[in-house]
Amino acid sequence: MKSLYNRTSTFDGIYFLLLINRTQMHYYVLIMPVYLVHSYMIWGIVVMGLLSQLNVMLLSKWFTSSYAAKGYQGFLQLFGKRMVQVFAIFGFLIILLKISILSLGYVEMLHSFIYPSMDKKWLILVILLISLYVASHGMEKTLRFVVIAFLCGAWILIVFIPFFFPPIANYRDLYPLIPTEWSGQSWQGLLFIWSAYSGSVYLAFMVPWLSSNKKITKYLVIGNMLTIIEYLLLFIATILFYGSSFLSKINFPVVYMGSYIETNALDRIDYILISFHMFNYVFDISILLLCFYGAIRVIMSKMNERTTRIGLLSSWFVILISIILMNQWLWQSVPGQKLLLNIQSCLGGFIYLLVPTILYTAVKRKESM
Amino acid sequence: MVLYKHYGILVIVSLMWMTSCSSPFVENNMIEEIAPVVFWSVDKGAEGKLKISTLVPPLIQEEKRLLSKEVDLLKQGGKEFNLIYYQELKQGQLRMLLINEELAKEGGIEKLINTLMIDPDISMRVYLLVVRGDFDEYIKNQLTKQENQEYYLYRMLQHYEKHNQGEMSIVNIHQFMKKLYSPFKDPFLPVFHSDKNNFNYIGTALFQKDKEVMVIQDVEDEIFQLLDNDHFLKILAIPKLSISLGRIRSNVRMKLSRDYSSLSLQVRLNGRIEEYHGENNIQKEEQLEQLIHEIEVYLEEQTSDLLKRMQQWKVDPLEIGTYSLKPFSKEITDEQWMEYWENMKINVDYDIKLYPLINVERLL
Repeated sequence: MKSLYNRTSTFDGIYFLLLINRTQMHYYVLIMPVYLVHSYMIWGIVVMGLLSQLNVMLLSKWFTSSYAAKGYQGFLQLFGKRMVQVFAIFGFLIILLKISILSLGYVEMLHSFIYPSMDKKWLILVILLISLYVASHGMEKTLRFVVIAFLCGAWILIVFIPFFFPPIANYRDLYPLIPTEWSGQSWQGLLFIWSAYSGSVYLAFMVPWLSSNKKITKYLVIGNMLTIIEYLLLFIATILFYGSSFLSKINFPVVYMGSYIETNALDRIDYILISFHMFNYVFDISILLLCFYGAIRVIMSKMNERTTRIGLLSSWFVILISIILMNQWLWQSVPGQKLLLNIQSCLGGFIYLLVPTILYTAVKRKESM
Repeated sequence: MVLYKHYGILVIVSLMWMTSCSSPFVENNMIEEIAPVVFWSVDKGAEGKLKISTLVPPLIQEEKRLLSKEVDLLKQGGKEFNLIYYQELKQGQLRMLLINEELAKEGGIEKLINTLMIDPDISMRVYLLVVRGDFDEYIKNQLTKQENQEYYLYRMLQHYEKHNQGEMSIVNIHQFMKKLYSPFKDPFLPVFHSDKNNFNYIGTALFQKDKEVMVIQDVEDEIFQLLDNDHFLKILAIPKLSISLGRIRSNVRMKLSRDYSSLSLQVRLNGRIEEYHGENNIQKEEQLEQLIHEIEVYLEEQTSDLLKRMQQWKVDPLEIGTYSLKPFSKEITDEQWMEYWENMKINVDYDIKLYPLINVERLL
């Protein structure tokens, strides 16, 4: 059997653009408007986006360093084996939580809009099976899958253009544009945006498959820009459509907006939109699944052995069981769901802050020694 | 590598297993077994109950029946219909909700509409109508006279919604709820009159929260369309001055004074004179201008009256309160705005540009 982590060729810059953009667009984007609510959060998206831009630039320094290209060996040289294992244990937990919340979030949406009478466990199983199928083709092909995820996801924005024009839109709904009061909720909103941008951090561990030439900074920056624009378009459209006070009462504002666009031929556009979103989720989950398996291998120090089908399948099972348990214990109650989302946004924001800095300083220190 | 292809088979097999074994798909949408409902008509029943009715089957070639039930809850009604009718009623094709005026005047229709809004099966584009009189009586009577009456009713609403021609206020669930939940906005709904033989548009009902407080009709309703809703009227007939104006486009400018004590409302109308039965000779420029001036005065009076009544009832369907919002300063609250609105001096000014469809003799 060929290794899951084989590589035959490296990807060029445009892949960086797509990868960074797609890993930043997922579940959070669809529920983000409910967390932001006020129109002044537009500035929050812009500011956080620019900060993320800096972070991405730090990441690109890492991409071009010689350690990154060596993959696991590079990490060993930088941190030593013990440290790498400790990091992997953290990564193990963080990835597990992230996959769980991504799948639960998407399944929740599927469940409430398309299959309300179906048991959620089936939906969880199906989405994970599809991701397993994609992941089983190995890292390289999964990374290539980003093109499909991008093509299936990016056009959806076009559908939201009518929301920017009257009679649906009333631009006075955007006022006031500056925050007139600032509360804990606003801070939470900012954290939420920041963690939504954090998806791109996983790229740091995929460097061996990506090319490490000097020009990638440009692509990374453009990819991040694209995300800022997408966030802004979606958020402004929801504010124009609902207005702030109505928005806080809706659970999936973006999906309901999809269903508002009706054509004579097609009534339920939201079904189509949700289905197309699946490509993005499957891509995200399968990439994370491979990272997860990789983390397990690092923890058990089996990096020099071949990948096995049993290994991938058992890490998949760990994920499946953890999702089902999380669904049973926490997700189904409102406080539990809030707790999970808060933990995830804190953790996501935290690692997005730490990982690029740690990698950057570690490389700098090694180089100066 | 070959073995990995088995994951695909695994997916397919488990899908097949799921569909056959435990049947997780409870929804059955066989067209022969369901009856998609096009409208719900909700009326006041005895003892605080709701009387809801609908026509079945709306789609299949079969004799139609009007089903009617007195229930406590809307969804309960849907369920009870299933028990008395052999096909399962489905709400996915719901297009209209007709609410009896008595119910609307009582308040509390928010709950009713909210039930439909939060249901992902039901589109947010469902039209809302207030009905004065007995709609059931009308539709029962029409069953034999005209086929698919309810569908044509829906098409009519869609027609006037799409092109905003100013004949009617057409409101869907989303628009109603957005106005209801947002500050500085009050919802409105179209009112239709219904008896045994007729079903016709009367005017617009204005709501204070979810309670109907006033209905505006005729010229007032037309002014309402010009001021906010459509900014266009196909025909504006003014019998008092024996004149019909056509294809009128309005341009409204509102200006609030800094302390919210007065509002100046400038309305520019552009249109043409389509009919004139009066004494003036509108071929003469002087007399034409005289007439236009009379129209301006007349509309100014009517508009002032309309706005005064809105102030009395503390409603703001024209969303004038949103003009108090500024990009860079703190907004006032809804309650504060209502206080200002009640006591606001309103200055209405019309500026009308009309061209007659005949040649006008110039003075020079």
